[in-house]
Amino acid sequence: MAANRLTKNSIAMTGIVIIALYIAVILVSLFWLPFNPVSMDTEHLLEPPSLSTGHLFGTDEFGRDILSRIMKGCSVSLIISISATALGAVIGILMGIWAGYLGGRWDNWIMRVADVLFSFPSLLLAIFVMAILGEKTFNVVFAIGIVYIPQFARVSRGAILGIKSDEFVKAARSNGASSSYILFRHLLPNILVPLIVQISLSLSVAILLESSLSFLGLGVQPPYPSWGNMLSGARKVMAIAPWTAVYPGLAIVFLVLGFNLLGDGLRDLLDPRLRNVQ
Amino acid sequence: MKRFSILLASLAAMMFIAGAGAFAAGPAEKVLTIGVDQEAVGLDPHVVTSFSSMRRIDLLYSRLVRLDDNFVVVPDLAESWDIPDNLTYIFHLRKGVKFHNGREMTATDVQYSLNRVLDPKTASPGSSYISLVKAIDVVDKYTVKLSLSAPLASLLDGLTSNNLSIVPKEVVDANGNLQKVECGTGPFMLKEWVADNSMTLVKNPDYFEKGAPSLDKIIFRVIPEQASLLAGVKSGDLDMATINDGAIIRQAAKDPKVVVMSKPGLNMRIFSFNCTRKPFDDVRVREAVSLALDRSEVLTIAEFGMGKPTGPIPVAATQWALPLAKLPFSAVDIARAKKLLADAGFPNGFSFKITCASTYEGGLAVAQVAQDELKKIGINADLEVVEWGVYIDKWVKRDYDSMIELRGGSGEPDRFLYRTFYSTGGVNNFLFKDADVDKLLDQGRTQTKVADRKATYDKLQAALSEKAPAVFLYCPNENQVVSSKVSGFKEVGNGSLFYLTYTQVAR
Amino acid sequence: MGRYIVKRLLSLIPVLFGVSIIVFFLVRLIPGSALEMYMGTQVEATPQQMEELKRIFGEDKPVPVLYVQWVGRLLQGDFGYSLRTGRPVLPDIVSRLPISLELTLMALFLALIIGIPQGILSSLRNKPAVDVANRIIGLLGLSLPQFWLAALMVLAFSGFRGWIPMGNFVKFTVDPLKNLQMLFLPSLAIGIGLAAVIMRYTRNSMLEVLQMDYIRTAKAKGLKRHAVILRHALKNAILPVITVAGFNTGYLLGGAIVIEEVFALPGMGRLALYAIYQRDYPVIQGIVLVIATLFVLVNLVTDLIYACVDPRIRLYEGGR
Repeated sequence: MAANRLTKNSIAMTGIVIIALYIAVILVSLFWLPFNPVSMDTEHLLEPPSLSTGHLFGTDEFGRDILSRIMKGCSVSLIISISATALGAVIGILMGIWAGYLGGRWDNWIMRVADVLFSFPSLLLAIFVMAILGEKTFNVVFAIGIVYIPQFARVSRGAILGIKSDEFVKAARSNGASSSYILFRHLLPNILVPLIVQISLSLSVAILLESSLSFLGLGVQPPYPSWGNMLSGARKVMAIAPWTAVYPGLAIVFLVLGFNLLGDGLRDLLDPRLRNVQ
Repeated sequence: MKRFSILLASLAAMMFIAGAGAFAAGPAEKVLTIGVDQEAVGLDPHVVTSFSSMRRIDLLYSRLVRLDDNFVVVPDLAESWDIPDNLTYIFHLRKGVKFHNGREMTATDVQYSLNRVLDPKTASPGSSYISLVKAIDVVDKYTVKLSLSAPLASLLDGLTSNNLSIVPKEVVDANGNLQKVECGTGPFMLKEWVADNSMTLVKNPDYFEKGAPSLDKIIFRVIPEQASLLAGVKSGDLDMATINDGAIIRQAAKDPKVVVMSKPGLNMRIFSFNCTRKPFDDVRVREAVSLALDRSEVLTIAEFGMGKPTGPIPVAATQWALPLAKLPFSAVDIARAKKLLADAGFPNGFSFKITCASTYEGGLAVAQVAQDELKKIGINADLEVVEWGVYIDKWVKRDYDSMIELRGGSGEPDRFLYRTFYSTGGVNNFLFKDADVDKLLDQGRTQTKVADRKATYDKLQAALSEKAPAVFLYCPNENQVVSSKVSGFKEVGNGSLFYLTYTQVAR
Repeated sequence: MGRYIVKRLLSLIPVLFGVSIIVFFLVRLIPGSALEMYMGTQVEATPQQMEELKRIFGEDKPVPVLYVQWVGRLLQGDFGYSLRTGRPVLPDIVSRLPISLELTLMALFLALIIGIPQGILSSLRNKPAVDVANRIIGLLGLSLPQFWLAALMVLAFSGFRGWIPMGNFVKFTVDPLKNLQMLFLPSLAIGIGLAAVIMRYTRNSMLEVLQMDYIRTAKAKGLKRHAVILRHALKNAILPVITVAGFNTGYLLGGAIVIEEVFALPGMGRLALYAIYQRDYPVIQGIVLVIATLFVLVNLVTDLIYACVDPRIRLYEGGR
């Protein structure tokens, strides 16, 4: 039933197709790339895109093939985005559902911490974390994950509050079920809907955040390509070689679009207020 | 209709009044707008360290002597000087020079200024240039005598530093320091400073050189993006811009509307080793790296060719610098490099880290090229790209294997080399200790005959190339992008904007 | 209502206290210091000079002591002095605040005038193709990295005088027209993404409202279609849009760092960025506190507007 509705939703389907394309690119890049993405070539600095040289997207300021770097960077960006979202989601959801379920003083404390984190501008917080921990790929995950924690905490707390006084919870409790059993077996499955939407949006924002951090020089270490550090390098030369900025940027745009379409589509399907619209 | 004609009449009246106002103002002000990528941090000449502040001080203050566009020391506030022996310098000051507050500048001000620099409470970066000065005596109102505790051949060159500008005591006393106020003897005076936006300087009508400056006003605008700086000159928003990004300069060179001024500067890009860390404690390993790095390739990629390969003395200091061909270990020789590595016990190479930052000074691009080139002799370099503040922290703590640096060189060999490579030198962060090098450095600063000094520094350059505490790569060009309306500007090679004093702008 | 506002304002205190602790200790965890940045790599200093400099840069006391001193002065309204420029912190922040506020409001305005019509258009079910195309376009806007869009804008408009502030930012009070011209592109770079969010909320909320009985009744009464949509449906559908717009305003205040950097706008975000780069602790601390305060206040104002527009909504006083 749900799957059927999903395939009928052209927005979500477009998103899925786009994401699938990127996954295909990653699979291809594991076995084959047009050029070595890290080897430099002084003979071909900043060459415009051309069929005859084989550099379909041109070369960068070190003579490296941009298409190969985008393909290689695809897995870097996706891994960062998925791990950061996972980190933020796990910690944030745990905080949120405990706060929501236990209420009272616990709720107060946990949500105060979330409030404090929340009122920090997110990019500024990520910059702080990166500056303290140093520029390593894992630290990018950590920095973005921290930004997500309060967001997930709020969403899951709100959702738990909405259902915790429902009959089925009361029934479970009167049967003597433990708190954690109720939380994970009864409550969590019932709040998956808003969480899934939040996750799909977080995946897209993570890619944008990674690229912003790299753009400011605080991201993934060169020469390993990520889309963000490609753009950061391109910043200096884009006036004379616009292709160095345009293609990595488009790679970001379409993957983010994919996640956004999926998220928006899911929201349509799962939002109970809109369910009867169709 | 009637209403319309009233409107028309009042519009006409307004235009007339505005027009009359313009006529009353007389000939148009000659204004030059210059774009720079960093805001000045403060304006106290004895305290500031930042390049951006120095560029304002070039125009606001005067020193005893200054450098011309060929690195020759020429009169500034001192119109002449005598050196009776290598421990005594006597300066004869210009008469009638006025500070911007109207008071005359005299020998007492010179004495006060140099003493302020030497006072540890000021914590002035300029104190190292005159640390050997043991007495500053006022001979008469217009004569000052400096007595040294040991000979220092580079003293005159040191005195050209903006950190040794002459300032009036009463203004320092009234404000605590000169970071936010200005009172110099320079060709321009501070009119307005809007932080992170713009700074306006106006002509000093009492400047000691008659007929200068020819501009009425200079406006500094802070624009962090180099591409935007060029765009500004092209669109006419700016008359001039200081740009150090090779890609942008290359683009500017193609544009007929702008003039690119470019010549090798005194800054020097080096690949420095931590000489106490393995394997760089072995001189053969350092030499191998020096033989593997292709200076012109680095220059081509990292600076778009905007610069010149150099040895230990900046190539622009033509009086002293030896050509690269005469220096050992300065041309690529992969076979020899591999042999040296094998002799040192690394036939299969090794791994180490290159610390760099993504700012221009941090040399990320240079590091990436070096990383690629070192693969040829089997060395695997990992880049440690850190944020600029972290980079400085690592530099201060000497916490690195190797580092890409941009050093501020000097046209005078003693000033740059002594503090950089002497075993106790203030900025010897290579932790490099070598008795021969120390001896040559000591010798060079006591010699007064140019021919003797030249012989000493020739030997020193060869010794530094061979012992390689750092690989000397290249000197980036000093670039100004100038609108075709601007004439008369000269680059000094240390970034100085002093020649704006003689610059004209056509309207 | 008054009690509610007071309560919300009081809840600001623990948040600000937490923020102040985090920012104070966090900035000092970042390797490097303002003193090191000031000295750079070219300057020598004697040990005696270094001692003097440490005192000047406030590095001569333990961090907890410094924190207590800082909070003590803060409570008297003294934000301290910048380590980089020596200027007092608060006036510097206050002079940049209007620029960030202007940028935020203009971005919000652009987002609303793009997003709401798009959302309405999308909610009209008779043309599903329009809806899908509209939403994809909207989401495309949301997917553009702001700094990338901004950098491309700078590239495209660099030949045109006046659209990009060349370090000569003109205040609204000096020349409103020129000021708006300069802020147009940066606001658009931010607003395009926000427009997609606005559009989504407008669309969903319109869809919900359009099936309500009273709309059906209105239609049945034979009212003109656009009258139904604009006068009846939109009025009721706009509520969630206000919330989300308000919420994002709080977010935008501190979020324009990259845009301010690319367009060289002298706003708070750029001040913060440079303060971090320079380890200018008092400035970072000041900005973060100001932004956090604004964030909380904007959310409060949003809730109040919400309550004023819709009398059905009561303001909850306890934990929800």
